[in-house]
Amino acid sequence: MTAADDLARLAAVLREEAGPGLTFMEVCGTHTMAIARYGLRQLLPAGVRLISGPGCPVCVTAMADLDRVLALARLPEVTLVTFGDLIRVPASRGTLAAERAAGADVRVVYSPSDAVRIAAAEPERQVVFAGIGFETTAPTTAAALLEARAAGLSNFSLLSLHKTMPLPLRALLDLGETPVSGFLLPGHVSVITGTACYEFLARDYGIAGVVAGFEARDVLEALLMLVRQPEPGIAIQYTRAVRPEGNVVAQRLLEQVFEPSDADWRGLGVIPGSGLTLRAGFADADAARRFTVDPGPTLEPPGCRCGEVLRGVTDPAGCALFGARCTPEDPVGACMVSSEGACAARYRYRGLDDA
Amino acid sequence: MRITAVDGSRATIAVEGLEQECSVMLVPTAGVGDYVLVHAGFAISILDEAEAQETYDLLREISAFDERDDAAPDAAEHGGADRAPDDDHAGGDDRR
Repeated sequence: MTAADDLARLAAVLREEAGPGLTFMEVCGTHTMAIARYGLRQLLPAGVRLISGPGCPVCVTAMADLDRVLALARLPEVTLVTFGDLIRVPASRGTLAAERAAGADVRVVYSPSDAVRIAAAEPERQVVFAGIGFETTAPTTAAALLEARAAGLSNFSLLSLHKTMPLPLRALLDLGETPVSGFLLPGHVSVITGTACYEFLARDYGIAGVVAGFEARDVLEALLMLVRQPEPGIAIQYTRAVRPEGNVVAQRLLEQVFEPSDADWRGLGVIPGSGLTLRAGFADADAARRFTVDPGPTLEPPGCRCGEVLRGVTDPAGCALFGARCTPEDPVGACMVSSEGACAARYRYRGLDDA
Repeated sequence: MRITAVDGSRATIAVEGLEQECSVMLVPTAGVGDYVLVHAGFAISILDEAEAQETYDLLREISAFDERDDAAPDAAEHGGADRAPDDDHAGGDDRR
């Protein structure tokens, strides 16, 4: 028995049971990638559509925030440390990669703890970690901040661009421009948050959600769970990693270090309470307070429909720039840069992932 | 990724035969032998072996109902060939 047989079986049952006109949205870059890589769209019945939402952390980062990161990187005393995905994302004027080529000290790390190690090794540098990501990543940044504090490192600071997942789903539904029958809820975010934060989907909007894993079988099984739910509710398919209560230790750490703040989302605008800002007790390590920069006016790339793609309104292939002027090698918009972006995934697996 | 050693909040994990380090600060109960999910250098969840075996509930259920004779080996592969289909998932008449 092969995995392909498993998928064929699940797909066959889905075809049997799924009614027409179902649109399911995933809100996790890793799901975007998995769906494209495994060619799952081509296994789905004609009545089931899979769309991407605001689930790619780099993609949802607003232009103004990207500009702030670049402005910080330009400060001669600053070593700007971040995750790899961010380096090539176009800001209003250039990218971090271009700043690095022009002499800025920009470094890519795998873990926020690596930034703390850089700060310890190079005490003469002001090490700023640009923290981007949802609830999965924010606790690792919080932990790194505590590591820096415990080591007495005064040259480490954090620019928190962290965001939380549930509120943009509400914002999206309130816009009412995307008909969503159900959500494939993010697996790794939910490892931290648990499921209570999604209950409002069923309660207030009558929309079901299933927390899904990242194998092809996980995604198809979660879709089948969505199709089979007699009444909208929140369920977990990814039970091997996600508990209903989430990771309580990580939740406490988030609570200790961060407080909710307004955050600017590409495509959705400012969503009150959807960001994570350092609490007053950590103000000394807040790069937003430590450094004064002038990022200049924001400029959106003409013709880029990344914002609409992130709301699930426009299919990546529906953008005139897609695959023509905008490719992973020469991206115009953030959704084509990040490996988790809807446009990048569609482009990389074109032919296999056509909607 | 399986934990092979723990020293305070640091753990050694085996990844495809290679040893790597991660922090277990976010999963303080993790111990040697546990499988963990690692993100950005931090273990964030201990993978539940029992749950891992039940992972593909629906798939097994479908296989169990499948008329083909080769359904059984598949179920065994996931570690629960003789487990009855979940009540939550069984039956099909009330589905939308």
